[in-house]
Amino acid sequence: MKRYVIRRLLMAIPLLLVISFVCFCFISLIPSNPAEVALRIQQTPIITEEAIAKMEELLGLNKPFLVRYVDWVLGCLHGDFGISYVNPARTVAGELVRCLPATLQLAGASFIIVVVLSIPIGFLCAIHKDGWFDKIMRGIIFISTAMPAYWVGLLLMWGIGVKLGWLPTNGNGTWRHLIMPAFTVALSYISTYIRLIRNNMLENMKQDYVLYANVRGLPQKSILIKHILKNSMHTCIVAMGMSIPQLISGTIVVENVFSWPGLGTLCISSIFNRDYPVIQTYVLLIGVLFVVFNLLFDILQTVSDPRLRKES
Amino acid sequence: MKKRLFAALLGSVMLLGALSACGQSAASGSSADPAAGSGNASVRDELNFVNFRDIRDLNPHLYAGEMYAQSILYDTLVRVSDSEDATDGVIPCLAESWEITEEGKVYLFHIRQGVTFTDGAACDAHAIKANFDAILENKNRHTWLEMMNVLESVEAVDEYTLEIRLTSAYYPMLIELGGTRPFAIISPNCMIDGSTMNGVNGHIGTGPYVLTDFVTDEYAVFERNDSYWGEAPAVKKITVKVIPDNQTRIMALESGEIDLIYGKDMLDAEALTSYMESDKFTVELSAPISTRQLLMNTTDEVLGDVAVRKALQHATNKQAISDGIFSGLETPADFLYSSSIPYCDVGLVPYDYDMEEAAAILDEAGWTPGAGGIREKGGVKLSFGLLYCSDRVTEKNIAEYLQQEFRSLGIEMDIHGEEEQSYRDNMKSGNFDMVFNIAWGTPQDPQSSMAAMRAPVYGDFAAQQGLDDKGEIDQAITDILVSTDETGRQELYSFVLTRLHEDAVYIPLTYECNKALHINTLDGVEFDANCYRIPLERMFFN
Repeated sequence: MKRYVIRRLLMAIPLLLVISFVCFCFISLIPSNPAEVALRIQQTPIITEEAIAKMEELLGLNKPFLVRYVDWVLGCLHGDFGISYVNPARTVAGELVRCLPATLQLAGASFIIVVVLSIPIGFLCAIHKDGWFDKIMRGIIFISTAMPAYWVGLLLMWGIGVKLGWLPTNGNGTWRHLIMPAFTVALSYISTYIRLIRNNMLENMKQDYVLYANVRGLPQKSILIKHILKNSMHTCIVAMGMSIPQLISGTIVVENVFSWPGLGTLCISSIFNRDYPVIQTYVLLIGVLFVVFNLLFDILQTVSDPRLRKES
Repeated sequence: MKKRLFAALLGSVMLLGALSACGQSAASGSSADPAAGSGNASVRDELNFVNFRDIRDLNPHLYAGEMYAQSILYDTLVRVSDSEDATDGVIPCLAESWEITEEGKVYLFHIRQGVTFTDGAACDAHAIKANFDAILENKNRHTWLEMMNVLESVEAVDEYTLEIRLTSAYYPMLIELGGTRPFAIISPNCMIDGSTMNGVNGHIGTGPYVLTDFVTDEYAVFERNDSYWGEAPAVKKITVKVIPDNQTRIMALESGEIDLIYGKDMLDAEALTSYMESDKFTVELSAPISTRQLLMNTTDEVLGDVAVRKALQHATNKQAISDGIFSGLETPADFLYSSSIPYCDVGLVPYDYDMEEAAAILDEAGWTPGAGGIREKGGVKLSFGLLYCSDRVTEKNIAEYLQQEFRSLGIEMDIHGEEEQSYRDNMKSGNFDMVFNIAWGTPQDPQSSMAAMRAPVYGDFAAQQGLDDKGEIDQAITDILVSTDETGRQELYSFVLTRLHEDAVYIPLTYECNKALHINTLDGVEFDANCYRIPLERMFFN
C-alpha cells in the first residue's frame, strides 16, 4: 500500500511538470508581444519602442524561452507566480489568495446543495421507479441538464431578484447573496448525481445480497438504507470527490453573471485584459487541483476497497 | 433513522450558514452590503452607481485606474469645458486665472488660495510644482501629449503663482492640462520620495469626493469632501458596485440595487432602446463624442486609386448601419470629425449614399466588370480586405453588411477579424487594406488625434503614406499646433480636413455617443466636455 501511494505521488510530478510546460507554452505562443499588451492594458496612450523595451526588461521577457520557463517554475515552487499586468502593484499569488475564499465559499455551498438534494431525490426515484415522482424528476433532470448555467442564472435573477425582490441580484457579503449563484452552479451536478444514485441503487437491488437480506426477513427500510444505499454510494463518493475541482473551475460563468468576486471573475477579467500571468497561473492551479484530487480519491478508494488494494 | 437523517440535514444547513458567514467576514471588515440602507429618506443623498470593473490603481500620473474615480478625487489646474464661460476650451479649477505671454510660450497660473488636500496639506504652487516634477520624471510615458515635447520648465514663482515655459507656442496646451491623466494633482504626502512613477501611498486630492472604503472587484465608496473649495455636491455618498456583465447591470437597475448606468460601452443599443418609453427610467444620450470610421490604405494597389475610394464612400449606406446595427443610437457620420467638434465645421459636402454614382465613378476610372462579376482594370481585380477587431461584434456586423453591398457593385471585399492586440499590431504596421478605426474623442479631437497622424501611432500614418499631399498635410498639422492666431488656425484646420475629405481616406460611419440610463428620481445626469469624465458631483435626487 505504501509503495502504491509513493508510486502515485512520484507519477504526479512529471504530470505537473507537463501541465506547467503546456500552460507556459500556450501563453508564449500568443502572437502579440506581452510587453506591448502589458503597456496597453495599463492604458498607455501611445506605445513607443523604448517603452516596450523597458517593459520587456521589467518583465524578464528579454531572456530565452527555456530560461523564462525555468525561472517561472522555480518561482511557482516558491509561491512567486509573477506580477499582474493590469496592476503591477499586485502579485498574481496575492490576487489568487484574494479571490480563492469567495470561490471556495461558492463551491462549498454548491457542494452541500448537491449532496443534500441529490441523495434523497435519487433514493426516492429508485424506490419509486417509474412512479409519478420518478417520472417528474426525470423530466426536470432532462430540462435542467440542457439549460446552460448562464441562462439559468439570468432567469433566477430576473424571477427571484427583480420580479419577486426576494434576493439580491449580484455581489456577495451575506447568505442571501449566496443562494442564487450556489443553486445555479449546483443545478447540473444535482441532475447528474440523482441519475447516478438512482441507477446505482437499481443495479444494487438486483444483487444477490439483497435477495439474501429479503430471505433473512430484514425490514425493507434497513435493506434500502443500510445495504443498497450504502453500497450505491461508493462510486458516488468518488465521483463527488472528483467534482470538487470541477465545481471550483466550473464557477467561472456563474461568478461573472452574479458579480461574485472569486477566481472565475478574476479569470474572465484577466482573459479580457490579456493579463497573461494571471491566466497562466489560474490554468496551472486548476490543473494541479485535478491532479491532486484524482490522486487523493484514487488512494482513498484503494484504502477503502480491499479488492483494489489487492490489485495495486 | 429519521433522527439521523434530520441531524444530517440540519448539519448541512448549519455548514452552509457557516460558509456564508466565513465569506462575509473574509469579504470586508466594513458593511457587508454597502448599498443597503439608502433610499428610504424623503430626498436621497446616497447614489448607487455601477462600473464594469474595479477602480484599480488610482495614481493620477499613470494610466491604470478608472478615470471616473480619479476625476472626482483630484482636480487639475484648469478643467475642460464647453460652457459659455470657457476660454480656449477650459474654465478655472485649481488655477483661478492665467496669463499667456511671450507669444504663447509662457503660461503664468494664479493658484486658488486656501485650497487644501483632504489630508490637510496646502495645495499651493509648490505642491503643484512637486506634481509636475513627478509627472516629468516619467516624461516618456506621456509623450502622446504633444505638449510634453515642447515643455521647457515648470517653476513655482511664489506660493500662489506657477510658471510653465514652452520652447514654442502650443495652442492646445490648456486643453491638455485639463486632462485628468496625467495632470491631476495629488497630495505630495502620497508621493514616494517625491515620485509617483512607481506608485503612490494614498489617493488624496482636492476633489469633491474622498475614497473612504473599497473592496477589490466588489465596490468602492466615495464620500463628500466637506472641505471642497467649490460648490458642495448634493450627493453625500457614492457607492460604486462592480458588475462585469451587461445583463446583470440592467437587472440590478431594475431591482433598485443601483440607480445609474453610465458610459459608452456599458449598455448595448437593444437594451437601451427598450427603455426609451419607460416611465421608471430615463435614457440620456450625449452629443457625438467620437467617429466610428473605416480607414483605407492608400499604398494598396487598388485602394491607392482615389476613384475607388470615392466610389466606396458613395456605396456606404451609413443610415442603414445606424438604424440596423445601432438602433439609431449612433447617428450617421458624414465627416471625419463631427461638426460639433471645435474647428471642424468647415462646410464640406458629404459623400451621399448613391450606388449609381459609385458605379459611374468606377466605370469612368476604367474599373469594368470582369470574370465572376468582379470589376477589373489592367488585369487587376477590384478586390481588397477589411480587417476588424473580432472582440467587437458590431464591427463584424458592419463588415458583413458592407461586403454584401460592395459585392453588388462588383467589388470583392474579404473580411477577417483578429483579436484586439493582433488587430492593433496590424494596424500600426500598416498591414491592412481597409480597417475599422475610432477617433480619439473629445477633448483630444481634433488636435491630438491629428498630431498622431504624423507618426506610426495608429493606422492613420501608414494609411496616408500613398497620398501625394501627405507632406503638406503633416506640415499643416504641425503649423496648427504652434499657431497663435485663431483665424490662421481655423484656415489650417479647414485645409487639412478638406484635403483628407477630398482624398477620401476615411469612410465615416457613425458618431459614437455617451449613454446613461438612470432612475427617474435622479437628476443632473449630464455629459462632460471630456468624454472620459462622469460629472457625478453635479447629480442630485429630486
